[in-house]
This record gives sequence, structure tokens and C-alpha cells, in this order.
Amino acid sequence: MQKINRNVVLALLSLTSLVFLLFQLCYYKFYLSQKNGAAFSKVRGSQSGQDSTRWHVVRKFLGLISSHNIPVYLIDPLILRLVDKDIEQIRSSPDGPSPECKYFCAPRDFTTFALLDKTLKHEVGLLRTAEKMGFQWLKIINKDPRLDGMADLSGMEIPLHYIFKLASHAIHLVVFYERSGNFLWHGPLRLKQHMDKKFVPFRKLHFGRYPGAYEKPELLLVSIDDLKVQIPKNPSSFLEEMSHSRFLECRYKEARAFFQLYPDDASLDAVEFRKKAKSLLHLAALTLNNLGVKFWLSSGTCLGWYRQCNVIPHSKDVDLGIFIRDYKADIIPAFQKAGLPLKHKFGKVEDSLELSFQGEDDVKLDIFFFYEEDDHVWNGGTQAKSGKKFKYLFPKFTLCWTEFVELKVHVPCETLQYVEANYGPEWKVPVKTWDWKSSPSNVQDNGVWPVDEWDNVIQIY
Amino acid sequence: MDEWKPNPAVKPHKKRSWYLAWKYKLMNQRALRKLCQTGAVLFLLVTVIVNIKLILDTRRAAYEEEEESAQDYDDEMLNVEVPRHPVNNKKVLDVEVYSSRSKVYVAVDGTTVLEDEAREQGRGIHVIVLNQATGHVMAKRVFDTYSPHEDEAMVLFLNMVARGRILIFTIKDEGSFHLKETAKNVLKSLGSQVAPFLSWRDMWTFVGKKGGEVYGEKHAKSPALSTWGDPVLLKTEVHLTSVEDAECHWPDTELNRRRKRFCSKVEGYGSVCSCKDPTPIEFNPDPLKDNKVFDVPVAVIAGNRPNYLYRMLRSLLSAQGVNPQMITVFIDGYYEEPMDVVELFGLSGIQHTPISIKNARVSQHYKASLTATFNLFPDAKFAVVLEEDLDISIDFFSFLSQSIHLLEEDESLYCISAWNDQGYEHTAEDPSLLYRVETMPGLGWVLRKSLYKDELEPKWPTPEKLWDWDMWMRMPEQRKGRECIIPDISRSYHFGIVGLNMNGYFHEAYFKKHKFNTVPNVQLKNVESLRKDNYETEIHRLLGEAEVLDHSKNPCEDSFVPDTEGRVYVMFIRMEQEADFTTWTQLAKCLHIWDLDVRGNHKGLWRLFRKKNHFLVVGVPASPYSSKKPSSVTPIYMEPPAKEEGAVALPAAAAAEQT
Repeated sequence: MQKINRNVVLALLSLTSLVFLLFQLCYYKFYLSQKNGAAFSKVRGSQSGQDSTRWHVVRKFLGLISSHNIPVYLIDPLILRLVDKDIEQIRSSPDGPSPECKYFCAPRDFTTFALLDKTLKHEVGLLRTAEKMGFQWLKIINKDPRLDGMADLSGMEIPLHYIFKLASHAIHLVVFYERSGNFLWHGPLRLKQHMDKKFVPFRKLHFGRYPGAYEKPELLLVSIDDLKVQIPKNPSSFLEEMSHSRFLECRYKEARAFFQLYPDDASLDAVEFRKKAKSLLHLAALTLNNLGVKFWLSSGTCLGWYRQCNVIPHSKDVDLGIFIRDYKADIIPAFQKAGLPLKHKFGKVEDSLELSFQGEDDVKLDIFFFYEEDDHVWNGGTQAKSGKKFKYLFPKFTLCWTEFVELKVHVPCETLQYVEANYGPEWKVPVKTWDWKSSPSNVQDNGVWPVDEWDNVIQIY
Repeated sequence: MDEWKPNPAVKPHKKRSWYLAWKYKLMNQRALRKLCQTGAVLFLLVTVIVNIKLILDTRRAAYEEEEESAQDYDDEMLNVEVPRHPVNNKKVLDVEVYSSRSKVYVAVDGTTVLEDEAREQGRGIHVIVLNQATGHVMAKRVFDTYSPHEDEAMVLFLNMVARGRILIFTIKDEGSFHLKETAKNVLKSLGSQVAPFLSWRDMWTFVGKKGGEVYGEKHAKSPALSTWGDPVLLKTEVHLTSVEDAECHWPDTELNRRRKRFCSKVEGYGSVCSCKDPTPIEFNPDPLKDNKVFDVPVAVIAGNRPNYLYRMLRSLLSAQGVNPQMITVFIDGYYEEPMDVVELFGLSGIQHTPISIKNARVSQHYKASLTATFNLFPDAKFAVVLEEDLDISIDFFSFLSQSIHLLEEDESLYCISAWNDQGYEHTAEDPSLLYRVETMPGLGWVLRKSLYKDELEPKWPTPEKLWDWDMWMRMPEQRKGRECIIPDISRSYHFGIVGLNMNGYFHEAYFKKHKFNTVPNVQLKNVESLRKDNYETEIHRLLGEAEVLDHSKNPCEDSFVPDTEGRVYVMFIRMEQEADFTTWTQLAKCLHIWDLDVRGNHKGLWRLFRKKNHFLVVGVPASPYSSKKPSSVTPIYMEPPAKEEGAVALPAAAAAEQT
């Protein structure tokens, strides 16, 4: 009998511990998901995962904002994704009461809104009212990047982000600024030392890890979950834009140091060339953007941006890069239509394609097409008289936005590696004589074009 | 699973037998049973370990999350200084004041707040105002009461200082020669016993509270006309009051908080800091209907003349149609007080590290300010450029709103300016009239962004070139034959007396009698006629209707123009070629208008008013309008006076100020 008891006890214990283990596993999974912010309910016992706290906080915030006549718009990616699915329905019935809380009740820590800086008036009054309504707020300010390019100006710091916290929910208000180049910019979110680092879980924010660049959005006033809010007219394209919105500021400080060492060329020729290069770049950007072809500053133009935040006056041409997968046959006719005749075409779409267009007075626009391999990318070069092929190798890179000569353009995010691949570690020293066949540090011989292909792969006009 | 448990209370037969069979089997397989037992024990052990690990893990994760949550967002700048508040609980200030022929100094609690031992400078009475609660210096002035009228300025200043402030006086060199009775009485009312008897080359120091006690006074009489009094050093203690007592009790509004911050820092701005009924700092002028310049940025170029800036911003913010959000004040240098003024009005200000010297410094400041303006307002097609020593007319923005489309559409225009160089009290009459002129007047003007970005900015004079930016802009290489639009009656008024190229005499002679529009909402006349070709038609029409004056009379005499009103008259002067301004300069001199260089001309034609009649001057034969001259008329020639030494040099230098 005793033996039986012992068995029974053991079995019972095993069973309980099994149950316990299962319970722990569930808890652990639950805990992990909470950390990722996927399915966490603040209000315990709330039904079907709904969080009415959030809805109330958002409503209160919208009330606060409209009482101060400040137009904000919703940029919360999670909500916009949901909205995008129902966009037709939402557009068609802008005022209808909604039967259920679909968008603003999913339990989250944040709801994100955007604001244009020039519409922010009477900030002090706004913050005071917010306090009276029970909001705690945090304001993140920093230097004004629009004045950064100028060494000797010190303006007031500008607000980049506001966070309004009420109960368990927080509103993240991102301030967008207009920049030269007709786009909107928002700053990074960096906490100063004395700031409360636990004010909200900052890591979960959707905006602020990097600065970002956006087109000016068209807005649409909609009513969702019985709240009237402005949203980007086309949420899906906004979300698409958001996914690669990272912005790089030019390195103004380093550029100033560069000009200390190598004073800028202020001759009339240099002024004239810069003017022409700038207008050529504007024209090229307009043409390629209309075609929807993604491009970036390459070679000398990229070096000019990275090293001196300006066009290098002795570079004599404008260089752009395009991934071959983005190639379109319309590119050549589009440029010709824009008044830039084709000067030469080397290579073919399958191999080493390079286009050159003739701009105003000898300023040339070179477009290099980049071919992606597993661990590197490359573009090709061709010597017209010998039919020799060259290959320029670059490490893989992603694209970031930047502002250059009053234009929003792409540059490789990993600019240093890109520039170093092309110009070697001595890229900081200006070189006036440059041979594209031998000077670049990433050049490789790539054989010779077969003679019967010459007519196709070497076209000079 | 309940059934599985052995339950002695309820024993369903079937299950019981199954259980017994199982038990029997186990009993028979001892080894297996043992194995099961060990397995169970092991299993329990594993559970315990897993449990412990889990607990540890979750705790660590939770801790890490807190730690990390902000890490990414930390500012890389680690040395953000937490502003230190000097906890100065001391209620007594030690004040030292020194007065002598060649040196003065004032030290408060061991810190020198004034020291002046420069030669040939700083003569007169130095005044320092301290905050009675904090001991901070709120104003520093020197009044050269050896010279006339400076005592009046001092009285004005002392009257503006709020009651309760601590005043410190000290004389350097000489301060009594033109110290009149009124000023002495004011000093006496402050508690000075010596002031009424101050005389030639006496040394004197005085510390007192306005409207209150005297903390000390020392005086050394000059023994003879040719010598100075002995240096005096006054050491005294000042008792600080509480901050509460030092501040006014205005209602707590956003505006008054700005006012409070301003008034606790600086002195000498009069009623803006008066406790009872302070002057407003928000003006809310009427908005303009259909305001075309509401979104045009306004750059105010400033130096370290905070009192000027204060006056200027008041008039700017009172102008109808002003948009304070578009205003940026650019301060040349890291001066605190101008910034305080900017903040008082709730505007944004930007400080600029001075580059280079003199005119080149101003020129670099202009460049930085203009570039920054177009960076801050990338959408703007224009910028309004103002300076800190201008009064702005109430209809300034209305004037611009009505004319700005011309600058956008007419390529032959260089700027729109609010200033008419020749618009004096006796030569300007019609607020609704506009001119086209070949000179760039500045002093409140509109700049086109494309002109700046494409032409001016890339070749702006570099710091080592000591050029005036405005003179440079007037050069033919930049202007390229383009013209500016100006009003007959100026929409700005240049009140600055102290400045780089400025002094009292110069101001009196050339700026004081300038006409300034005070009428709101003036409807401009026939704006379209200002376009390039229309303007020629308009001039020909005017010349066609103009009566030719009697050229035998002296044009300087009043009787040259008949005693009529509202007529159009024309006179012809000799002008051999385009750059021959000999007669014009003499005429300008005797008419008491701007004669330091040539301003306000359009193809050899000047337009002004005399005795309320429109008065046209045509240079013959250089002007294309010479054909309008009747053949019987001989153009008037006026000879320049014999050149005196220096008489030529002055205008050249002085002309620079006209900016």
C-alpha cells in the first residue's frame, strides 16, 4: 500500500509540475509578446483586446489640438495600415457613425500624429491647456538643421517631438519642417541628459530613430471610430514612403573644416559651373522623378556632397547612379524631351550600361547603372577607342535622402564606404587630374567588348 | 483527468479493475517501476530548474528593458550643462565705485562690472542700474555731460528707470560743463547732496536707490581750473530686497511672463516695465484684406543697439497686415540685450558670430541673414529686409501687397523699396504715387529669392573685401540695368543717430526732414503703369502735359516754381552724358535734398514735388526725354563751387550710410 502511495504521489507531483511548466511557457510567450508590443492589453480583463483608454486619450488630444486651432494629421503606421484596408469605405462615408471601435481601440502604447511647424502657434498656451487637461508632456528640442550649414549662426533650438501622456497611453506628435528642395523633414528623437528616460518606452516609437524626409502629403479629413482626424490621402503610399524615409544631414562641420584647409574656389568660372551643375541636377531629378526612376548622387557629385556639401567646381560633370533593375527604356527619350540630347551610350542593359547626356555648355550628365551581386554591386565603364571594359566595385549599400543644392535626392546611406571604394582613403584631398580608367581605387579590367558588338555597345553622338 | 485519480469514495468497478491490473503489472515489473519513479523525480528537478531560470530571465529582461528603453535615444552630447542657479542667499552687496580723470570702475561683490581707462573716450557721467533683488546689472550708460544736450538724455533715462532700482554714478574726466539745473535737480531728488554743486573737473561717485535710501556719496573738488579733483573711491554696502518686492504684480498671462523676464533683466525701456498700466507688447493691428505678403519672410538686421531694435519692432508689429511668425531678427554678435528685446515681443532671433571688420562685417552679416532667411522659409519667393534703426509705416505691408506682383512679373525690376532718397518734407506729396528709379535705396526693401540665390549669393563680397553690401549691390555688374520701385512718400523712417557711418550732424542734415507716411490703407495709384513699357508711356504723357518753367530764373529760388497746386512742371538741366551729374548735384544741394551721390533718377529724369506741384527735371541731352525740350529753352547749367579740401572726401564716406 505504501508503495502504491508513493507512486501515486510521484505521478501527482509530475502532473502538477507539467501543468505548472505549461503555465510558465504560456506566461513566457505572453511576456515576450508584451515586450514586442504586439498583443498587450493594459486594461486587464478588457473584452476582445479593446482598449478604450486609448480611444479616450486620442479624443482628448484631438480636442486639445482643435481648441488651439492646430491642424495635426495621423501618421501612426499601425492605424494607417488598418485604415488603408478599408480606405474606400472610409472615403465614401466620411460621417457615418461606426458600429465598433476598430482603429483606436487596439491596445498600444502610442498613437502618432504629425504637425507642420508653421501651424504651431501659441505653443506655451497649448502646453498649459494640456497640463490642465491632465496630460504630462515632454518636448524634445534640438538645433535647427536649416541653419546648420552656416557656421556662425546660432538660432534658437526648435521643437522636434512632443509626447503627451495621459493614463496608460501617450500621443507622439512629430513636428515636420519645410526644407529647401520642397520636402518635409522631421528630426531624430534624442534625449538630453536631464530628461526622464522612462517617461515612455521610447524604443517603441515609430518615428525618431533617424531623421526622415517626406513629400508634402495631401490630407483627407475622415471620421474613424467616431473621431474626426486628418490622414494622408493615400495611406499606402505614405507607409511606403515611411519605410525608406531615412534622412542624412550633410556633414557641414567637416565641410567647413575642409574649406579651412582648401579654400573654396570663388572665381567666376566656378560660380558659373556650380550654377549650371545645379540647374542640370534639378532638370535630371525632375525628369527621373517623373519617370519614377530611383537614382542617387554618384562619383564626383556624391563626393562633393559628402566632402564639401556643394558641387566640386572643377568636376565638370554631374554623376548619377541608378540600379539596373530600375532601368526604363523611356529614360533616353525623356531626357531628350527635356532638352538633354544623348551624348554617348556605352554597354547594354545586360552589361555595363552607361549613359551620357549633353547639358548646357559642356556640362555633362553621366548616368551609371549599377548591377547587384551577392556581396557587392558594380558599374561598368567602356573606353571608346579600344573597346576595353572596366568594372567599378562597391560594397552593398542602401539609399538615404539628403538635401543638396535645394533638392531632395538620394545618396548611399553608407556614404563613407561608397566614397572610399571609389576614391580611396585619400578622398579628403582634392585632386584636379582624374583619370576614370586608372585613378579610382575600385577599378578592375573587365575584358574587351567583342568587335561585332561595338556598334551597339559604343554609341557616340 | 479527474477519473484518472484514485478516488476511494467513488469506485466505479471497471476503472478499479483497470487500475488494479495496472498496479499488478507494475508490481510485477519492479525495474520498470523504479525507472518511472526516477523519471518522475528527474522531471520534477528539471521543472524546478526551468522555473528558477525563468524567474531569473524575466527579471533580467525587465531590468534590461528599463535600462535600454532610452539608450538609443540618448543625446550623444554628454556635457549638456544643467543650468546652474547661483544660489546667492547673501542679502548684502559690496559695491566699489572709483572716479578719476583717466579711469573709472565699478565692482559689485568683487566683480568688475565697469572699467574704462581708455584715452579720449568715456568722458562724462557713467550710470549703472542694478536689480535691487539680484544685484544684476540691468543697464550701463555713459552721458558725456561735458557736451550739450547729453544731460537731457540722462534725465530721460533716469526717469525711465523703475523705482527701487539701485543707481551707481561715477564721473570720468569731466561731467559738469553742460550739466544743467534740471539734471542737477533730478540727481538731487535721488538723494545726492553734492550734485547741485558739481563743478568743473570735480570727481564724484554716488550710490543710491531710486526713490529710496542713499548708500554712499563721495566727492573731490578740483582745486583749480587746470587740474582735476583727486581720484575718489567709494566703498559701500547695498541691502538687497526680496525678489517679490522687486517685481511688479501683473496678471499672470503668457505676455506678462515675457514682460516679467524682460523687466527683471534690463532697464531703460520706460513704460513697458511700469507696474501700473504697462505699455502693451502685443499690438494686433488690423489684418489686411487679400494680403499678398502675409507669407513673405521678414528679416530684421540688427547689431547691438537694443533701444533702436525695441523702437523698430514696436513699429513693425503695429503695421497693418504684419505676420509675426514670419519675422526673424538677426543679431550681429552674441549680445544679450537685443535678444532680450526679441524675446519680449515673442519673436525668433538668431545670433551671428561677427566675421571681419567694419563694412565687411556688416556685409557678411547681411549675407548670412539672407541665406538663413531663405533656408528657414524655403517656400518664399521674396524676403523683406529691414534694419534695426527704421520706423515702419502703418501701411508698409499694404504698400508691398499692392506692388509685389510687379517684382514677380517684371524682369526689369531689381527691388521694391519703401524709401525714397529724395522724399523730404518739402519734396514729397503723394502717398499713392510710385516711381521707378535706377538706384537701390535699401532701408526697407524686398528682395527676390531668385535674384539672391542665382546671382548675388554665389558672388557676394568675401570677408576680406571691405565693401559695403549696398554699394556693391548698386554696382552695374550686379544691377544690370534693372530698376527699383519706390513710393513718393517713404514707408520707412531712418531714425538711427548712432551707427557705423552715422553721427548726429549727418542725421540732422540728411534724414531728419524725411517724409514718412502715417496714413493707413493708402490705395496706390495706377500700379500697372510701373511696368517697364507702361512707365515710358506714363512719363511721355506727364512730359506732354507739363508746363515748361521759366529757365531765366534761378532754380534754387522759391519763385522758380509758381504758387500753384497740383500742376506739373518741367525744367531742363545740362547733362552732357549719362554720368554727368554736375548740375543735378548743385540743384540737389540748393533744394536741400540728398546730394552726396546721385539717387532717384530714371533715364536722366528726376521726379519730385515743389510747392505741391509735380516737378520734373530732365538732363539734356543725355536723357532720352530731351526731345521734349522746346528749342527755345536753354538747359540750366550750375557750376560746382571751387573744391575745398576734404569737401569731397566726406560725401564719399558719408554716402555709405544711406543703407
